[in-house]
This record gives sequence, structure tokens and C-alpha cells, in this order.
Amino acid sequence: MVYLDNAATTPMDEEVVGRVHEAMRDLFANSGTPYRIGLDAKGLIERSAESIAGYLGIPSTHRILFTSGGTESNNLFIKGLCFPDKKTAFLGLEHPSITESLAFFSQFGNEPLSLLPFQREGRLDLTSLAILKENRVRLICLSHVNNELGTVNDPLKIISALAKESPKTKLFMDGVQAIGKLSLDPEMWKSLAGYSISGHKIHGPKGIGLLVYDSKLVLNPQMHGGKQQFGVRSGTLPLPLIMGLETAVKNAVSRTEQTQNHLQGLCRHLVQGLKMMQVRLPELKIRFNSLVDAVVMHQSPGMVNFSFPPVEGEVILHHLEAKDIYVGLGSACSAQSKAPSRILMGIGLSEEQARCSLRISFSRNNTTEEIDQFLEAFEKAYQTLYPTFLQKTGHR
Amino acid sequence: MTERKTVLIRYDEIGLKGRNRKYFEKCLLKNIKRALSSSDDIHYSSPRGRIFLDIPASFAMECSASLKTIPGIASFSIGVSMTPDFDAIAALGVQWIEPKLKPVESLKFCVKTRRSEKSFPKTSPEVNFEVGSRIMTELSPRGLTVNIKEAEFVLEIEIGKSEAVVFDNRQPGLCGLPVGSSGNVLCLLSGGIDSPVSAYMMACRGCRVHFVFFDNQPFLGRGGYDKVLSLAKKINHFQTRGTLYVVPFEEMQGAIRDHCNEENRVVLYRRMMYRIAEEIAIRQSYLALVTGESLGQVASQTLENLAAVSCVTSLSVFRPLIGMNKESIITRAKEIGTYEVSIEPQPDCCSIFMPKNPVTRSKIAFLERDEEKIPWEELRDNALARMEIIKVDDLSNA
Repeated sequence: MVYLDNAATTPMDEEVVGRVHEAMRDLFANSGTPYRIGLDAKGLIERSAESIAGYLGIPSTHRILFTSGGTESNNLFIKGLCFPDKKTAFLGLEHPSITESLAFFSQFGNEPLSLLPFQREGRLDLTSLAILKENRVRLICLSHVNNELGTVNDPLKIISALAKESPKTKLFMDGVQAIGKLSLDPEMWKSLAGYSISGHKIHGPKGIGLLVYDSKLVLNPQMHGGKQQFGVRSGTLPLPLIMGLETAVKNAVSRTEQTQNHLQGLCRHLVQGLKMMQVRLPELKIRFNSLVDAVVMHQSPGMVNFSFPPVEGEVILHHLEAKDIYVGLGSACSAQSKAPSRILMGIGLSEEQARCSLRISFSRNNTTEEIDQFLEAFEKAYQTLYPTFLQKTGHR
Repeated sequence: MTERKTVLIRYDEIGLKGRNRKYFEKCLLKNIKRALSSSDDIHYSSPRGRIFLDIPASFAMECSASLKTIPGIASFSIGVSMTPDFDAIAALGVQWIEPKLKPVESLKFCVKTRRSEKSFPKTSPEVNFEVGSRIMTELSPRGLTVNIKEAEFVLEIEIGKSEAVVFDNRQPGLCGLPVGSSGNVLCLLSGGIDSPVSAYMMACRGCRVHFVFFDNQPFLGRGGYDKVLSLAKKINHFQTRGTLYVVPFEEMQGAIRDHCNEENRVVLYRRMMYRIAEEIAIRQSYLALVTGESLGQVASQTLENLAAVSCVTSLSVFRPLIGMNKESIITRAKEIGTYEVSIEPQPDCCSIFMPKNPVTRSKIAFLERDEEKIPWEELRDNALARMEIIKVDDLSNA
């Protein structure tokens, strides 16, 4: 199997599996109980949180909440802070857990400000930020790394631009695709209101994630119950998943530089291969939607998104699947809805270019041999399908 | 000794049968036995016109759920054996009826007694009166009224030699004929809303329905295939022992797309589906094809296009939904539990196979001319050779 859809999810590390398994078997006590085994569980969770804070350089001004994953973290922070009437802004290229949370506010007459006109190559154009002050925006929500393109919004740059242009606007970032691929500068926490992380994108378990936020902020809980985690996020804490997450974060952070180099190598290999394929196949016209030649500050090395009209991405995907090669089609959520990717359309692609695209996303497990296998299968599938799609579009 | 209960099962249309009635009864009894095979502690008896089961009381819930999925049953009731003491019977009746009483509305009820043991000192109408009046004394102030013709609650009493069996209110069955009494048919199953409903309707006419699905992999993912598997499982629940044939269809569709008139594509696809289905039916001795077509619902379902596809087979083609509108098909799909699966967003045909403007009134001569351009017999045989055959009973209940 060649798995190249690591932005959708990643296989769990053996070490993580071992840790989760062990904890599931041995550490069943509820961390909210007053007897010894409960207190032991509580202690382990606190130590995990401390370790995670250490790995990520999170200062004591910020609080760590364990959630069920990126979607919950984004919902909890955005709704918890801004519902119902605080003004928000976004770029319009974020994951649905951000865009839909903000769309939810519109039902209450609180229309979020879309900065889509100010996107450049999928990133926020920092010269535009005065508009936030004019609109009295309290919170701006952005992806650290875009989940379909891999383009990067640099938190430090945004923070300093905000300080100049709109000091009352706080910054929230979805870091789900960033961690393990980009090194986080601990400086960023100082002015970051909130940040979300998901376990399963970094070879950790599904069903666990983090919300890191400035503890001066008051978040209204979105789930009420036993008042665990400062009453902000009730629910018995899943100790085994937390142990797994801690291990996954440790591995992701300690190997970031190494991973980055590895992924950059894979990325270059893939792009080079596709460019050479274009020379061989005159009918193949690739448009790279990711910034494939850009530096890490602008583009995550883990992701390459490209279009190849007139052949549809979905059909190529299933032909590759038949060869046991798995690739992505935009974000998994929009693949369900069968509509062309909102993100690709957002950066100015035509509907056809958006439909005729794939997202390849790597992890540290991938090899150049696997990229070669993908290239070979892609070339074959493209050649087989091209005449058919040419005929189809010829009828338009 | 474990506590026992008696189940009384009434037939639906079998009651109308003449000399072949025994055949239908046997068939229903066999289906009931199969459906209840999870318990080996059931005694069956079938005196004229009805079926009685003697079951462990703990099995009553499961039994009742199973009986509701068996075509051919008009209704059934679950009863308790007791000494024929009117006070005790009435007390049990009160216990059953009381929760059904609503604060404002009245509830109509009656008592129906049968005596298999004629030596019992009271006649049936007398027993009705004795028990009914006791219940009325208790519950008439709460809105219970007697109405024999329009009773909403019927308390049934069977009086035997030394005991009486008192039955709770009737629960409706699926009606129709027992599966297997009519024979085997083959239903063209897509992932849509309609075809599972038509399969279900044929099962209720006594058919054992088998399924054929035309698969678009690798143009589409396995999602459509998985969806059809779970639909087949849902329908099979009403009948058991169905078979699903999965026919790879992309080669045939590719040939039609590449060589035939674009506007005729959909009708040509369907003619090939019918031909392949016919071949499977003949090999397996299935007696008819079943489809979910409803007149005029989509371009391929006009009178002309239906005629153009039917004429490729000499088998009967049944379309139980032909006169139904979408709304009522959806209602039925929800009742039988297939709707939720059908609406999962899985395309059943890759967009590259679809024509821009499909023909609505195809001409058979033109279709035949198109078919001469492709080696369809060979493609059909290839598809049949690559066909996957799945016993639906063997699919685990995931």
C-alpha cells in the first residue's frame, strides 16, 4: 500500500499504539475520583499536559484543554469566545470547522468578515489588516497551514501586523496541519489567543486533540457536565488517548527538522516527476495549486495540490485506489459533498480546475520509491482516461 | 419450569386460498421457523387457519420483532395461559388496557372468546360478557367504551380443557404472501431509493428476491458497492436466502460511450443491464426481473424508453412502483428502513458515462444500429465471467 493522504489522517506510531494499549488495559480509573487510583490518573494527565506544554514551548500564560480533536477545539474556542455578537473575521479558506462555526453566527445576525479578496496564493495579505480595525473585528481565525494547499500563514508576521494595524483584534489559529511539519516559534504564544492541534494528523490516536488558549480569556463552555478542565470542557478525560497524544506530540516536535527535510525531498521528487511527465505527455497540463517552489515559511513541505484538466481528480483517485495507492481529493469533508473544493475556487481556480485536482500529502513514513509508484500509476491512469474526458469536455 | 407465553399468528391472504392452501401454510410456517431459529425451545402447532407458538416468556420481545418482518402474517398476538377464572382474566385485561387510556379520548374495546373445549360451562358470548363487564366496571370512568365492530383493543380468550389463554392486543404483520410461495425473481438494484422498495414489495408478494448490481469501479469508489451490500441486507431481512450478483459494468459502459450515439447511452446501458440480468435469471431459473422504475420519473423511464428496454428480454419485467409518485416511494422506503442508506451521497454512475442530453423517446431501430457497433455479446459474457456472487445471509450484521 502507498498511502499519500496524510493530511486526512496518519497511521499511528507503534510507540503510540503501545502507550494507548497499555493505558487502556492498566489505567482505567476516572481522573475525577478522590481515591488513590483516581488521583494517580489525574497526576498522569497533569504530567502529560506539562510535557506537551514543554514540547511546544507553551508558556504558563496559556492553558491546555484536551478535546476530541481539531473540530471541537475550533468550535469551542470560536463559539466559546465570540458567541453571539462579537465580530469575527476569516480568510474564507479555512477548514469547515472554522467556516461553519462562523456561518453559525450569521444566524444570529453576526456576519463574519470574509477577507477572501485579500488572499494572495492562499495566504492572508498583511497589508489589508486596517480593515479589521475599521470593522471592529475582535477575533480573526486563520489556518496556520491550509488543509488543502499547504500554504502557510506565519503567526509571528500576522501578530506584528495586527499590533500595528488593529491592536484590538485577537488571533486564533488552526494548527492541525502545521504541527510536526513546521517548527513553532515559542514567541508566537505571547500574542496568540488560541491554537488547535489534532492527534491523528501526527501519528497519534483519533478522538483526541488540544485547544491551547490564553488563560485570561473567558470561554463559555459548549458542553456542560462535571466541570472537568476548569469547567470549560466537561467530560471524563480519556487518559489512554492523552498518553498517546503526548507521545505523538513528543515525536512530532523532536523530529520536526528531520521530517521537514525528508518531506521537502519527497515534494521535490514528486514535482520534478510531474514536470518530466508533462514533457513526455504533451496532453498533460499541470497547474500547481500549492507553492511548490516556495520556502517553508510560505508552504508546508508536506503537501502538493495540483490540477490536470480535463481528467477528473475523483476518477484518477479510484484508478489509483485499484493499484493500492491512496491520495486525497481536497479535504475529506468536501469530497463527501461532491461539490468542487471551496478552497481551490477561493484562490481563483475554475470549477473544472478544481474538480480536476488531487492533493498529495506526505508523512515521515513515505519514501521516494512510493512517489515513483504513484507517478507511474498516475501517468498510466491519465493516459487511459484522457481521451474519454477530452470527448466529454468536447461536447460542452 | 420457565414461564411460557403463547403466540397466536393469523394469516393474511392465505385464508383466501382454496385447495392449495396447505402449500402456502407450510411455506409460512417454514419462514417463521427460520426467522425464530435463534431459540430451540419453541413448540409449533397449526390448527385450521392459524398458527400457535409456545415460547419461553423471555423470548417474547425478540419473537415479536421477528414476526413483524415476515410477509404473509396479517397480525399476531402474544398471550398468557391461566386458569379460566373471570376475575383473573379481567384483572389482566385491565393491566393491559390501562396504559393505553388517554386523558381526553375514549378507547373502544371488546372481548372475543373461542371455546375449543365445548364442555366449558359458559358459552363464548357469556364469557365475553363476564370478562367485559368486569373490565368496564373498573375502566369505564376513565373513558373505556365497548364497541365490537370498531374495537381499538381486542382482548382475545381461547378456552381449552383446563386453561384459558388470554391474548394482548393484535400487532399488525406485513400481510401479503409468504416468501417462497411465488418463486424466485431478480431485482436490478441501484443505490437509489426506488429499487429497494420494489424488491421489498415483491418479497411481500411471496417472491424470494435476488439482486443484481452493476458496478462502476474503478471509475467510482467502493462506496456504491458497500451501499448496495447494506441495502441488499436490509431487504434480505424480510426474506432470507437472497443472492447478490455484482457485475462489473465499466467495460460495457466504456464501449457504449466510445462507439454509440451519445443521446442513446442511458437506454443502451439499460438494455445491456436487462440482457445481463436475463442471463443470470435463466441460469438460476429465476422467473422474472424486477426494477424500481416509475413512469416518467426520469428520462430513461418514459413509455418509449421502458418499451425499448423491456423488448430485449422475454422474461416478465415487474415494476411495482410504476404508478407511484416519489413522495409515496420515499414514505415506503422510510418504513422499511432503506431510505437512510439510499440517501448516502454515493453516485451510482460516473459522470463521464452520462450524456449531456439523454434521449427521452428512443427508437428501437436506432438503438439496434448502435449496438451493432460494439461486440456486446462478448462484453456481456466477459462481465458475467467476472461477476461476484454474494450470499446475502452470509454478510455479517455490521
